[in-house]
Amino acid sequence: MENLKLEATKYTPGITLTTEGIISLVGKSYPENTFEFYAPMIKWVEEYFENNPAQTTIVNMEIIYFNSSSSKLFFDFFDLLEENSGEHNIEINWIYDEENESAEEAGEDFIEDFENLNIKLVVK
Amino acid sequence: MNINVIQKLVDTDGIVFLSYGGYLSQTLISGMTEALELEAKDHGITMSVSNNIFTIFIELAQNMMNYSKAIDSEAMKAQGLIVVSKDSEYNYYIHSQNIVSLTDKEKIEPKLLEIQSLDKVGIKKRYRELRKSGQHTHGKGGGIGFYEIAKKCDSIEYNFTKIEEDRYYFHVKTKITTTKGEK
Repeated sequence: MENLKLEATKYTPGITLTTEGIISLVGKSYPENTFEFYAPMIKWVEEYFENNPAQTTIVNMEIIYFNSSSSKLFFDFFDLLEENSGEHNIEINWIYDEENESAEEAGEDFIEDFENLNIKLVVK
Repeated sequence: MNINVIQKLVDTDGIVFLSYGGYLSQTLISGMTEALELEAKDHGITMSVSNNIFTIFIELAQNMMNYSKAIDSEAMKAQGLIVVSKDSEYNYYIHSQNIVSLTDKEKIEPKLLEIQSLDKVGIKKRYRELRKSGQHTHGKGGGIGFYEIAKKCDSIEYNFTKIEEDRYYFHVKTKITTTKGEK
């Protein structure tokens, strides 16, 4: 399995996925077609968990702002992580600027919605 | 062009600093969002408020972009109007208007009626319920765009104006309050 790296654009985050267990999303997220844009990432993550993942998987989410379809996509992504959290050790960092209250609130909502996931709020 | 229409908007809603009518593309939306980012930075608006402005703007603009793409009929193509303005009290307003069919009016209106019947806490709760259930999810998104907008603005108003059979102007007006000099 190969690593996957997508450069950030004005409306999509930089994405880094490594077989050493790092999943990182940094930037803004409002693609024209969100589900299509994130499909390769979701596919990679699914395959990663099926094929001998790292002992601990670290997920770093640092999204400055995002549209509602990205919000739905992130929800589905966390759902996928939760499905794998029984067998695998997954640590999620929801990273935001201390002045970015919307991002903080979004992180708090995900924590409440995914009680089985280990999501930490990390102020930059 | 009747410039008095713009003048009227300036008189009632203050300074109009972004106004666009026509075909909406992703590149254009992204460019306008960048312009808004500069405007926000220039005026020392807090990160929280400015991110709310960007999200609402993107949501309304992408709504119109996706809507016009989904429509085959020539008459419905790519017609979108989006206006961002602010008044002397530093309240920001984002308007959008496009033409929709009766079927779409019937799809959109119940969501907006529900939103207007809820307070902020209720809207946030409903947003998370819908996101979780995927009840409104369609090809382009989660179908929760108006709930996202309502979560992030201080008021949302809308109206449908009939143009002719099966064609309505759909106007959304959102208000975002900010305080100048607010950290």
